[in-house]
Amino acid sequence: MIRLGLRLTLGGGREAAVRLAVTAAAVAVGVGMLLVTLAAINGIKAQSARGAWLVNPGTSGSSAASHGAPGRDPLVWLQGTDQFDGRAIERVDVAATGPGSPVPPGIPRVPGPGQFYASPALSRLLRSTPAAELGGRFGGRQAGTIGPSALPAPDSLVIVIGHTPRQLAGAPGSAKVTSIATAGSTAVIAGAGASAATLEVILAVAALALLFPVLMFISAATRLAAARREQRFAAMRLAGATPRQVSLIAAVEASVAAVAGVAAGFGLFFALRPVVAGIPITGQPFFPGDLSLSLADILLIAIGVPVLAVAAARIALRRVQISPLGVSRRVTPAPPRAWRVIPLLAGIGVLAYFAAAGHPRTTGGQTLAFFPGFLLLTVGLVTAGPWLTMAGARVLARSARRPAALIAGRRLADNPRAAYRAVGGLILALFVASVATGVIVTLVADHGAPAGGAQAGNTLVDQFTGGPTSPGSGRAHAATATGLALAEAPVPATVLARLRAIPGVRGVTVIHAGPGAASPGTGLVSCAQLTSTPALGRCAAGARVATITPRFNVPIGTAALGRAGNTSMTGKVWPAATVPPGRLPRLPARVVVVATDGSAAAIERSRTVLEAAYPYLGSALTIGERNAQARAQITQWQHDADVVILASLAIAGCSLAVSAAAGLTDRKRPFSLLRLTGVPLRLLRGVVTLESAVPLIVAAAIAAGAGLLAADLFLHAQFSVSLRSPGTTYYLSVIAGLLISLGAIATTLPLLNRITGPETARNE
Amino acid sequence: MDRDDRGPAGRAGRGGATVTARLPAASARAGSVLEARDVVKSFGSTPALRGASVSVARGEILAVMGPSGSGKSTLLHCLAGILTPDSGEVSFAGRRIDALAENKRSALRRDRFGFVFQFGQLVPELTAEENVALPLLLGGMRRGEALAQAREWFGRLGLDGLEAHRSGEMSGGQAQRVALARGLVAGPEVLFADEPTGSLDSLAGEQVMNLLTAAARDQGTTVVVVTHEPRVAAYADRKVIVRDGTATSPAPAEATS
Repeated sequence: MIRLGLRLTLGGGREAAVRLAVTAAAVAVGVGMLLVTLAAINGIKAQSARGAWLVNPGTSGSSAASHGAPGRDPLVWLQGTDQFDGRAIERVDVAATGPGSPVPPGIPRVPGPGQFYASPALSRLLRSTPAAELGGRFGGRQAGTIGPSALPAPDSLVIVIGHTPRQLAGAPGSAKVTSIATAGSTAVIAGAGASAATLEVILAVAALALLFPVLMFISAATRLAAARREQRFAAMRLAGATPRQVSLIAAVEASVAAVAGVAAGFGLFFALRPVVAGIPITGQPFFPGDLSLSLADILLIAIGVPVLAVAAARIALRRVQISPLGVSRRVTPAPPRAWRVIPLLAGIGVLAYFAAAGHPRTTGGQTLAFFPGFLLLTVGLVTAGPWLTMAGARVLARSARRPAALIAGRRLADNPRAAYRAVGGLILALFVASVATGVIVTLVADHGAPAGGAQAGNTLVDQFTGGPTSPGSGRAHAATATGLALAEAPVPATVLARLRAIPGVRGVTVIHAGPGAASPGTGLVSCAQLTSTPALGRCAAGARVATITPRFNVPIGTAALGRAGNTSMTGKVWPAATVPPGRLPRLPARVVVVATDGSAAAIERSRTVLEAAYPYLGSALTIGERNAQARAQITQWQHDADVVILASLAIAGCSLAVSAAAGLTDRKRPFSLLRLTGVPLRLLRGVVTLESAVPLIVAAAIAAGAGLLAADLFLHAQFSVSLRSPGTTYYLSVIAGLLISLGAIATTLPLLNRITGPETARNE
Repeated sequence: MDRDDRGPAGRAGRGGATVTARLPAASARAGSVLEARDVVKSFGSTPALRGASVSVARGEILAVMGPSGSGKSTLLHCLAGILTPDSGEVSFAGRRIDALAENKRSALRRDRFGFVFQFGQLVPELTAEENVALPLLLGGMRRGEALAQAREWFGRLGLDGLEAHRSGEMSGGQAQRVALARGLVAGPEVLFADEPTGSLDSLAGEQVMNLLTAAARDQGTTVVVVTHEPRVAAYADRKVIVRDGTATSPAPAEATS
């Protein structure tokens, strides 16, 4: 019987060959998407592991300022993030204390004082950029390039700069390490800041959100041309085949197509891997080798997909009763019952209750409160989907004035589970992504990005948070501070003169520590200087020196909710201070603020002057860059949510296209005969489009609506804030995904023209 | 219904003027609503029609007979404007239709012709009454009105109670009667029936042919029915035989069989 199945599948003439090729091609596309998803997960882990040393350098580290550092020949280590033209540069300052000092990954030896190793992308940038804008801030000479084993991405900007231990000794934030992590369980994506556990959860959710629709797509692909197949099976039953034998032949046919599709899918994956590697899924491109597959992945796909295909074929066959006289009765599935909406309503009810009553105080209580609500909503969307589809389709059919809407509505109402199956994956993915986007956007919006428009991007801030400020000595990086700490030295006049001489610099203001500004959050400022940096506000009328309380750093996270507000200082009026203006230059500096014309050259040259003067204090950042840095993790999550939305919509489109093609081949004869009787092709196109587009659009609307509603209820319950508009990127992702899906559906329309030709009218 | 009412063999000559299938141009056109002249049609290198001519008078029921593969269905498709001949002419109501663009031929088929095929013509998702109303909806009629008109045919064709049934819930004979109602509901000038009883048993076939001819005569509809069954052809006013791609009048013995 297996041999007969193979004979029918492989030697069954042109029609059988076409059917096999189409099914295999669809399975190949599905397998290709599945492999890309798995490889992307592996790629993100690989990227994260390679970037681990940049964030969490090593073991046995201790503060360089402390005494009695453990280990033999430790390496003095100071890590920071610099900026150039909107891109982050990972900067590591190191000093070997002896020959046994550990060597950072990707380089042959610890760079000596005055030497540095740069990543290939940064090396290219250094060669193509004037030294006054970039190279000047690092000094020294390049000893070599950092190898790929130490780079998260091919275009990562990374530099390792050598110093003497003495140079780094006073730098707060420096550490002594005896070994350097090159891959780690505690790894994080460089620049993203998500912890490994969070990353695993995000990847698991994203993978599930993508894998489910892909599996549905493959399952749909193996059921192509089901009606035709059923006719053949009826002929076999007439010839004496038992149902079991027919079932076996169906399984053979499905597995041949699936095996061919799996092989082609692997080919497709490896052919597309270099292209996929270039897509910045994590915000950075992958090395092609990062998109790798483990043996378990390969076995799972190579065995799992044919098994799934056979199972799908058997299930499909079970739904029709094939008698020797043909498919006597298609088993019309019982319509879904109304109880299916109960879990959905219950989920909304749970969240609404906590939105009204407030959330439990303990973390455990909150988990117990929200988890069942979200779980009920997720399960509810799956169970309610077919009932909602049926209800919508019945309304469509009842209110239809045109035949296309009538036929499409009736078909959807007839078998709403089949229609929903194609979009079930999309619903889950879009729901999860909408909840995430809604919550993230609201949290970001509620604690307020610093306003100030163009001035936020034009104004460079070098904030000193501790340690001596004499040029050449160390200070801590300021990115996470929320206030100002004491500083000890004024800014040299030469540094200020160099800054003011840069074309495009409109003014330099120094915020000083001093009498009347003892609190770390306040400073003294010259009103003459302040007029040149409008982003800082202005002095009260008549004042020559003012007390200023600047806020450059935006607290990020749920803790900041409701108290940060707008951090813009533009237009703010600072009260007069009693300090004479002549005394200010001698007072220690806390912050240097440079107002520019916004040109990249002016900003980068100013940054280079400041960093050359204070090489161990991290980067001077514009207000906009500070904000972006603080929001990096949240931005990354938003980006991931958009990727999930786009991908799941595209996959759902492919599933719908396959379902549409299958529906067409099943109704080849009635559609052809309708066309022969003068029914215009556009009407049949309308039927096919409506049958696919209506579930897609309705599902997208329900999933997004439920997701945003859940986000709103959660935000009310947990933070007592209302949902903000999820923003342009979210809407654009949804619209782009819908357009891609509709495009996939449109690819089936030419098939309609081909299969409804006059030859179908022949009485076979 | 009495056998005589069904108008089998005895009525074969009722159409009068167009007994001969191969007619001189002038006589063929006299009183004819539909005419094919010297129609040649090939599919690739396989010839289907090699110069077939036939003329059908208004209100006439014409049976096109012939063995399998003789080209009778191709002739029907050319007469209905479904296919365009490689050479020759096809005219309807004095106007050539073979030279019309596909969209105009589609409009002609939709607005002035009706069709009944052997099987599989009902849209499976629609109920019987929606299937019957489909041509009216396509013509732009309001849904309620279209369904009301469609329902009138159910009593007429013995389909009472089947209005809400789907094609999968009806017998072959019932489905074919629904298809017949759909073919006639818009009041076509010509009804083309291609093996309308081909998939039915003899009793159901007779029932369908009785209803088809009766309804056509009531409406004055011209009918072209393709069949290889003499029993079906016996309902026609006249027969033509298609053999090897040409249409001929039957020999007297065939004509009365």
